[in-house]
Amino acid sequence: MVTNPDGQVGLYGDAVVNGLWRENPVFRMILGMCPTLAVTAALKPALTMGLCVIFVLVCSNIMVSLMRKGLRPHVRILMFTLTISTFVTIADLFLRAYVPRMSEALGPYVPLIIVNCIIIWRAEARASKSRLLLSIVDALAMGAGFTLALCILASIREILGTGKLFEIQVLPTTFPAWAAMGMPVGAFLTFGFVLGAINLITKKRSGG
Amino acid sequence: MLPKLKHFLRESWLLIVASFFFGLLIAATNAALAARIEMNKITKLTSLATGLLPDAKGFAPLQEPFEVRALDGRAEPATIYRAVAGDETAGWVFRVTGSGFSDKIEMVVATDASFEKLAGFDVLASNETPGFGDQIKEPFFRNEFAGAPADHFMLANAGSREQYDSTIVAISGATVSSTAVVEAMNHYLPQFKEQLEQKGLIGNGNEP
Amino acid sequence: MDTILILLTGFISVVLVNNLVFTKFLGICPYIGVSGRIDMAFGMGLAVTFVMTLSGTLTWMIDHWLLMPLNLEVVRYVAFIMVIAAAVQLVEMYVKRFFPSLYDSFGIFLPLITTNCAILGLCLFLVVWGTGSLIEAVVLSFGGGIGFTMAICIMAGIRENLRMVDVPEALQGAPITLITAGLLAMAFMGFAGMI
Repeated sequence: MVTNPDGQVGLYGDAVVNGLWRENPVFRMILGMCPTLAVTAALKPALTMGLCVIFVLVCSNIMVSLMRKGLRPHVRILMFTLTISTFVTIADLFLRAYVPRMSEALGPYVPLIIVNCIIIWRAEARASKSRLLLSIVDALAMGAGFTLALCILASIREILGTGKLFEIQVLPTTFPAWAAMGMPVGAFLTFGFVLGAINLITKKRSGG
Repeated sequence: MLPKLKHFLRESWLLIVASFFFGLLIAATNAALAARIEMNKITKLTSLATGLLPDAKGFAPLQEPFEVRALDGRAEPATIYRAVAGDETAGWVFRVTGSGFSDKIEMVVATDASFEKLAGFDVLASNETPGFGDQIKEPFFRNEFAGAPADHFMLANAGSREQYDSTIVAISGATVSSTAVVEAMNHYLPQFKEQLEQKGLIGNGNEP
Repeated sequence: MDTILILLTGFISVVLVNNLVFTKFLGICPYIGVSGRIDMAFGMGLAVTFVMTLSGTLTWMIDHWLLMPLNLEVVRYVAFIMVIAAAVQLVEMYVKRFFPSLYDSFGIFLPLITTNCAILGLCLFLVVWGTGSLIEAVVLSFGGGIGFTMAICIMAGIRENLRMVDVPEALQGAPITLITAGLLAMAFMGFAGMI
């Protein structure tokens, strides 16, 4: 059996590019929208949520990849759900223990990571079919893509909404803060326009 | 019966094993972090209370539980904390909940030892609009209550914030949130005062 | 009388003031995906209402009669999602077998909504809101579903009209739907502070 070193790197490189851009879970696949809208009012909660999702994704992918030989068709989804909910519970416990204020701010959106389509999607599409290392890289890349998307949205909303970024004043205080940005209106509108902008960029790139 | 059982086991052995494993994982994490989580809950209340009653060295909850009526008429359990400074009571601390613009506003209220004047209040948890209702957390609004009589409050549209009396100046643009705070005070203060009087912990003015 | 008042205000609160879609961002995926036509939107709304009422009630019962008495709150999330998945699975089989016409109108959506954030989200919010009684849990869950149905039907009505309008290419599809949802969210803000 000849191992193709380029093929290997290609596979991993692909996973990274996919997760971050080409199949970015938030902006291209439009998955996991609930947390995207809910926690992006400011950068801090967005980052915390992103890190949680990375943690759960990596652990879940590891578990699923290790178990992939023993998965029966009827219980697949149940297994995925069980795995994911376990790690979300653990992540939630850690948040409540070490960053209680952030845990309160995020509220019920942390357990909602369980039903975040991104995690089940990666478990199904990648981890249940691939070896451990690739699953881990995929999880990291997808998680990073998710976090990146969340941070972009959160930065826009926080700067325009409060003039601060990460609670540090970046705009002059004379700037009239768009309070609506912190509210559901701002969430939907920002997401819609950023998606539109990305569509525009991709279209220009592909010469359409 | 037996072949059915065998079939069932073959399909779901992984699920059963995984459930045990994950159960252990959750139990272990919980055991490790439960104490910290409990501490966090208590610390928040006491740290805010210390800000209101700087003389207090500690806060001891009154052992006898009792019930208060919430704004919607429901009965809920409540605890009063005695702020102690050496041998003396430095004041009383308790939680009140108001009904704000979005969701509930949870506040911690402190009064002086005789329940004559408020030492002030602070916000434990709220979801009010940033820049508007959120300003109930700001010192300029909260200070109006400090030193005010622990009696019925009234909301006014304009006036002096420097007068520490029963008239509270509403925050412009945040009428609902300001009203929520005042209403919560008016609803709960008499109940807590009555409880303390019943227990003989404060005088009720009818000294022999 | 008091109870009825509490239930009524709770119902109105969850349908209008704290609408699950516009204030809590729940159920966005099906909201964006299935709001293209009013008939599909209504079917989805029905399915969500049904599953939500069922799940909300079941998880409340499990939480209050099993988890809290036995101090097992730490497995709450696992228990909730497993119960929801199992319940919906059973219901789908039952409806398919005994009420095929009903199944035709909203059955296909059932698998989609099992792992939908709206269902688990509502069950978790019932915990956050400190829902005290079973009847309150039923009313609030039902209200959540009604609120979702209302939101998705309004959106479907708007989208059907959007088809005849010149939407810029970059905004076609999800972006314009989100922007519309934003404007709707702004409209619903008018209900805030109502109760």
